[in-house]
Amino acid sequence: MKRIALGALGAVFGLGLLLVTPQSALAQRKAPPGDGYKKVSTLVPLPDFLPGLGTLYADPATLPAGPFLAYDRQGNLVSSIYMIPLKDMNSQKAFSGLKSGKGEQVDHVDVVYNAGHPGVAEPHYHFILWYISAAKAAALK
Amino acid sequence: MITRRGFIRSGGAVVAGMVLPSWWRAPAPAVKLVEIAMRSDTAGSKVWFDPIGLLVEPGTTVRWVVKQNVHTTTAYHPDNGHHSLRIPEGAAPWDSGYLVNPGDHFDVTLTVPGVYDFFCMPHEAAGMVGRLVVGKPGGPGALPFDYFTGRAGTGQWLPVPAAAQQNFPAVERIVHERTIRGRLDALPATPGPEPR
Repeated sequence: MKRIALGALGAVFGLGLLLVTPQSALAQRKAPPGDGYKKVSTLVPLPDFLPGLGTLYADPATLPAGPFLAYDRQGNLVSSIYMIPLKDMNSQKAFSGLKSGKGEQVDHVDVVYNAGHPGVAEPHYHFILWYISAAKAAALK
Repeated sequence: MITRRGFIRSGGAVVAGMVLPSWWRAPAPAVKLVEIAMRSDTAGSKVWFDPIGLLVEPGTTVRWVVKQNVHTTTAYHPDNGHHSLRIPEGAAPWDSGYLVNPGDHFDVTLTVPGVYDFFCMPHEAAGMVGRLVVGKPGGPGALPFDYFTGRAGTGQWLPVPAAAQQNFPAVERIVHERTIRGRLDALPATPGPEPR
């Protein structure tokens, strides 16, 4: 009886989540995100999976800032990443209205200098909005 | 009919059989191959060639090998995106294109003596450069970075970024030490804005 009650409660809770979570957010939660996003490794010569970041998707129209949506090896959304060139920061360029992971709760934020890579071939910063814990992020290998 | 070449070959074998001991074999020509690792820390914050400076003999093959991250080895040459000429005139420029996976490598055999400066395409502005001296120093790579300023036909040439300039080992040091290791703790701090 208790098991049935718990099951019913879970079903109601799940249904509630579906009702309050926009469809586009659900679409982003699993790779591929669609909505104009392309796998970055199909746009520039980068490996499919980047240790420490995951598999990246981006809408080419938003480059270089992004967001880049990052997924773990199981295809779960783990972060949104913004890549801001140093020269833009030094020239005090503003970036406003950047999209974020729809309906996701940010666990923590990393701001990491990167020397450059194909796609953003100049020194820049990664601003990473993690939707997973630091321990899980560290395990992205 | 015995051609001159055939005669020499057969005669040579007879002479060798008479004079040389049975265990003698002509030594294979020495393969001059040196390796330069293309490295990065885990975050992609620090990137470097190792060695960053190397003295080699003409005819040496240099092999660049990716250890971490994604890199190129690209000669400073106007054919490579209007970069300034910093390899000997008459030497062929090279550009590996992106080497994406660990173990990917690119070989260049250098025959023209002189100084060869090279860079990594996505990491040049971060100071990922290296320098080879083949035989004796000389050529554009031994000149100051702004040597071409005001010269005809160089209007489109790009200057070497500040972070890259400060990272090249001096030619004299390469000649003296032969090998200069690239080291994580020897890299410049995060590059600041380019001088205007």
